[in-house]
Amino acid sequence: MLGLVLPVYLNVTIDLLTAFILLLSFVMLSSKWISFYIHAYGIQSFLIFILTLILGIETHSVDLYLVALLTLIVRCLIVPYMLLNMMKKFNIKEEINLSIKIPASIITGLVLTVFGYFLIFKLIHNFVPDIIINSAAIALSLVFIGFFMIISRYTTITQILGLLVIENGIFLFSVILTPTLPLIVELVVLFDILVTVVAMLILSMIMKIKTGSFSTGMLNRLVG
Amino acid sequence: MKIIVLIFLLLPLISGIAALIFRNKRFAEYITFISSAVTLAISIYYLLFLLHFHSITFLNNAIIIDKFSAYIILLVAVVYFLSSMYSISYMRSAVKNEGLTDNEFFRYYLLINLFALTMLVAPILNNMALYLIDIELTTVTSSFLVITEITEKSIEAAWKYIVIVSSGISIALLGTVLFYLAGNIHGIHHGVYSMISSLDWTVLSAHAAFLNKDLVKIAFVLIVIGLGTKVGLAPMHTWLPDAHSEAPAPISTMLSASLLNTAMYGIMRYFNIAGKNLGFNYPQEIMIIIGLFTIFIGVMGIINQKTTKRLFAYSSIEHMGIISLGFGLGGIFGTFGALFQMLAHSLSKPIMFYGSGNLLHKYKTKDIKAIKGVIYTMPKTAFLYVAGALTLVGAPPSAVFIGEFMILLESFKRSDYLISIILIILLISAFIAILAKINSMIFGVSKDESIYDINNLKITRGDFGIASLMPMAVPLILTIFLGLYIPSPLKSFLNGIVRIIIK
Repeated sequence: MLGLVLPVYLNVTIDLLTAFILLLSFVMLSSKWISFYIHAYGIQSFLIFILTLILGIETHSVDLYLVALLTLIVRCLIVPYMLLNMMKKFNIKEEINLSIKIPASIITGLVLTVFGYFLIFKLIHNFVPDIIINSAAIALSLVFIGFFMIISRYTTITQILGLLVIENGIFLFSVILTPTLPLIVELVVLFDILVTVVAMLILSMIMKIKTGSFSTGMLNRLVG
Repeated sequence: MKIIVLIFLLLPLISGIAALIFRNKRFAEYITFISSAVTLAISIYYLLFLLHFHSITFLNNAIIIDKFSAYIILLVAVVYFLSSMYSISYMRSAVKNEGLTDNEFFRYYLLINLFALTMLVAPILNNMALYLIDIELTTVTSSFLVITEITEKSIEAAWKYIVIVSSGISIALLGTVLFYLAGNIHGIHHGVYSMISSLDWTVLSAHAAFLNKDLVKIAFVLIVIGLGTKVGLAPMHTWLPDAHSEAPAPISTMLSASLLNTAMYGIMRYFNIAGKNLGFNYPQEIMIIIGLFTIFIGVMGIINQKTTKRLFAYSSIEHMGIISLGFGLGGIFGTFGALFQMLAHSLSKPIMFYGSGNLLHKYKTKDIKAIKGVIYTMPKTAFLYVAGALTLVGAPPSAVFIGEFMILLESFKRSDYLISIILIILLISAFIAILAKINSMIFGVSKDESIYDINNLKITRGDFGIASLMPMAVPLILTIFLGLYIPSPLKSFLNGIVRIIIK
């Protein structure tokens, strides 16, 4: 991707796709219902899958096809399915407890996006075309927004989704900036996401059974 | 050699699964013990082999065991061995007194082996990203070990642990992608067209000069933040006291004495690459600042503690700070001291956590104020506990003393007297705080005559069996021996590692 001259229609497509990816993370920030979060995450992963596929076709890289396929299976299908399944099983209809209210969250998200843009601009503007700077900035802001989601929402499921958004950001970052990253790395990262999500789901299930809630607000016994 | 590495990797896996399948308690205990003993023997064999050779490589350089990896493997294997021995006593007691169910018992023995396996694999991987993923797997296995006994507190600890450390590992992954990008830029250096498309330590370390300097700077900071979360460097340490205090004692030990070292190993590999690329001043300054801050936080935590296991968890934070300060000061003494401190910490910490486990089973509490007169109720444990505490705080002759002294020497040598003064003040505070608390537990006598017994447990005199005392006695003897005399093969081995890190 670096140093590659792309046709104009591809530039537009990539810009559009990454803009929608960013938009979906704002959908997550502005929502109070857990199922919104999960669907937004699924659609975001689907857009990342399309982006990876386009880059694979453009660079004639079989590795990227494979990575795109696995992204589709793991990020778009398995993980949202597991999360939705768990919501159905425990019949969760509770709203999310927010420590920072929705308007403030959106403003913080905007600030983080701008910060991500300037950071990435300063780092890589010497050796990459503008289009890549835009997409990489969005990838980095996904990482920031993921962290913000973890600290501002008091539910185990939203914390899992925050981690997944961070992973999405890193994946987007690596696909856009370093598409030659060894295949084994991407595979292992996907495997790792699966293991971590399963582990966290089991933990939150145990928590639900033991404490009767998915809220992390009551986890305040261990201090000092 | 291939066979040996294969045995080394498969044995913990097989013994863990066998323990789960056969569902025989004695079998699970002994197969774990045997597997850990064989692992320890193999790790010592690596050490002897690598005295004369540079490295062991397999699978087209995907697996490389050099001196540094072998050293970390030794530290992990020692603690695995001690913990599997102590588990026999601890888990029997837990089944008898705390109503641990069979399922929890066998799950414990499956996971302790898997946890050891993931830690043993981490140092031999040559690929940065695979190493990070393996560290993530250690998080997953050990977070389930933290909830061996499912209580609200242990769930809280496990949840904090997995969320904080997983996000830390994501940051480290971002740093790794930046390292890859730093080599992957089309650039011209000294008239040579260069592009390094690799994530291997060996390749990046050999071609470190060709990496993009700005990217390496920010990537190293991200790595220190990310892996530092796992090491317990302040201010990313918040998961550590919770997880260490809520886990069963053998697991607290493995978390504290081997997992932290495994993560520190990763930081030092990146440290080497960043140092070769930018000059060693830049990564050293970062390590010094974060190290001093970590020691400060650790000592403040020690002074404020009211429960036994949290006390030693904060002591682990303090020790990790000392180790990163040692690496940060650099030079022969600093690096050697930090490496030696790793070994010393791995030998001293088990004594304290196992002792705390014995106390927990006797007094049914972790509260320091509620535990009095251990010297009357458990004389042997009390003796080992006090001696262990003395070695832990660095009273000579002990390995911790040698490590800390060498790090101090390096700070004098660099004439950074401010660092020396801060370090000495903090170490003395930790010394006083830990010994005062240990003193009140071991020798303290409560005023009323119904002795030492706040919860009316009708405490009977007497220690637990030999399996609870041996894991405390063996490292105690070793650490005192190393405080008096460092064998020359160990010295030359450590010097080899120093050359690997600051070459």
